[in-house]
Amino acid sequence: MTDTVNIQPGRSRLRAAFGYEERSAMIFLAPVMLVLMLVAVFPILYSLYLSFFRIKLTRPNRTPFVWLDNYTDLFGNELFWTSVARTVVFSVVSVSAIAVIALLVSLLLNQDFRFRRVLSTIILVPWAIPYVANALMWKWIYDSGYGALNGLLFQLDFISRYMVFLGDQNKTIYLIANAFVWKEVPLATILLLVSLKAIPSDLYAAARVDGATVWSRFVHVTLPAMKPGFLLVMIYETMMAIRHFDLFFILTEGGPGDASHVLSWHIYVETFRNLSFGSGAAMSYVLALVTFALSYIFIRTLGRRV
Amino acid sequence: MARIRFNNVEKKYANGFHAVQNLTLDIQDKEFLVLLGPSGCGKSTTLNMIAGLEDVSGGALLFDDELVNYTPPHKRDVAMVFQSYALYPHKSVFDNIAFGLQMRKVDRAEIDKRVREAAEKLEITHLLDRRPSQLSGGQRQRVALGRAMVREPSVFLMDEPLSNLDAALRISMRAEIKELHQSMQTTFVYVTHDQAEALTLADRIVVMKDGVVKQVGTPDDIYERPENTFVASFLGSPPINYIDGTLKFAGGGAQFLHEALALDLPEAITAKLSGQDGRKVRLGIRAEDVDEAAAGGPGATIHGKVNSVLPVGSDQFLGFDFYGNELFFRVGKDLAHKVGDDVSLSVDLNRLHLFDKDSGASLLW
Repeated sequence: MTDTVNIQPGRSRLRAAFGYEERSAMIFLAPVMLVLMLVAVFPILYSLYLSFFRIKLTRPNRTPFVWLDNYTDLFGNELFWTSVARTVVFSVVSVSAIAVIALLVSLLLNQDFRFRRVLSTIILVPWAIPYVANALMWKWIYDSGYGALNGLLFQLDFISRYMVFLGDQNKTIYLIANAFVWKEVPLATILLLVSLKAIPSDLYAAARVDGATVWSRFVHVTLPAMKPGFLLVMIYETMMAIRHFDLFFILTEGGPGDASHVLSWHIYVETFRNLSFGSGAAMSYVLALVTFALSYIFIRTLGRRV
Repeated sequence: MARIRFNNVEKKYANGFHAVQNLTLDIQDKEFLVLLGPSGCGKSTTLNMIAGLEDVSGGALLFDDELVNYTPPHKRDVAMVFQSYALYPHKSVFDNIAFGLQMRKVDRAEIDKRVREAAEKLEITHLLDRRPSQLSGGQRQRVALGRAMVREPSVFLMDEPLSNLDAALRISMRAEIKELHQSMQTTFVYVTHDQAEALTLADRIVVMKDGVVKQVGTPDDIYERPENTFVASFLGSPPINYIDGTLKFAGGGAQFLHEALALDLPEAITAKLSGQDGRKVRLGIRAEDVDEAAAGGPGATIHGKVNSVLPVGSDQFLGFDFYGNELFFRVGKDLAHKVGDDVSLSVDLNRLHLFDKDSGASLLW
């Protein structure tokens, strides 16, 4: 009889797999995990489930299971492809502008000059403005009747009469991109400034002794050190740009015509105007997968040697 | 060929900090000069002025006979090894070493040849494809040396290059740096706060404090003939012991007098003290200049109570309570003393140091 050893198979296996600290951690984390399941994981899975049905709120009683039809229909839809093209233009323009401007501003703020601190603070202001407030502000700036931009250009004699800026098919998307860039540059600047500040000054001294010119020092010391910061900016801002909705909703509602009909707007229209929840969910899934794929590509290419 | 001269050089920062004051120094061609001092003494600033990384605020800095106050670093033909090594983190070891040559548009084949030669000399050939992050501290140190060597500069600057290495490696690297100096036949200026490094490497040492040179001389001068109490205390381990007292001339000789100590000063010292009768002085006894065995008679003995016994392997340090002064002496480890013992030590009178009590200037050198 092994009366001295009391074996409880189930319990001991758990104990063997996780130490005391792990088990305590699980208990303490459980409440947060539960909330997260309810507000994040459940909606994600539920929308995936919805995307397999044809759900129109105008026909609440007939919601047939259509398997992947929502997805296949999507790729045959011309407006969907238009919206993808608009999203690509918007994202490429905004992200490149953000990267370049943030690089220049961060280089400026990394210098020592008299009002550096004040300027750093001022530059952060757009970051603190909520997206909707930012959109309303730009709506006012671009307004055709009393807009600040019209007022400025008129008084400087660049234009002879007030323009309907957002009504111009060829300019709308760039004007919206401009508003987006204005809002996003501060954060990107800070992310880049952090990598700039982390460069040891000895490296610059060594490069100077080695005979590197200002430009060589920038290319051989500064830029390589900023790579992780750039990676972060590219991934984050691309994700923000692809998914961006507020400016399109407030400034143009996708117009004029389909000039600013981006993917996020397309999803909104499909879901909440056409009340077609099934295909809306399918599109959201496509958007999510594309965002994921892009981040993956960025990390693989830029991040290889970080 | 490079002789470096400082003529009344000043360095002041915008915030008013006076880092280097009225520095006049003549560094000979092919000399190994060590700048020694505590942190903040201006030694690194001095080195950076030679490199051209810091502006000279006043006075003249000359390379041979050419004024270089306003010459940028890359036109000075100097190479520098930094305390942090300052290797370019994203470049391979090869490119780190080659960078200075690439910037000077040296021909590719020549770069390749020089880098490989240097790598072989430093035994890092197998590391040429690695990145700095994949190297140990000692290996990084070698890469930093290699980067400076391939340039074949006329002045080789080093800013505490060994202080990030562990103790054993530091001693072997010291020997290699000395060898390097012999083989390269160029002027070396080396900054350190480590007295042992300075004493082993230098042809001449410059001891600095608060931006002022306290003494310039060979390691022997600096250790055996310190010109002031700062230099005397900065070198030696444990540091030199001080006892304040008075000089007294009697008969043919002179004596150092303290309420519990009377030392008969030998002829060689007395000769330098004429007319100093009654002067308040500070006596310096180096920790190793005592002996317990041979009693030197009443005029050469110091009595005290043992406060602490610190064995250091080869020998031991005795903490010694002498009229409120805590003195430390280095004695043989076979002497068995306990805390609280009364001990008499004979002093090597020929190796005493005497300083002015107020100014700290030596009365002997």
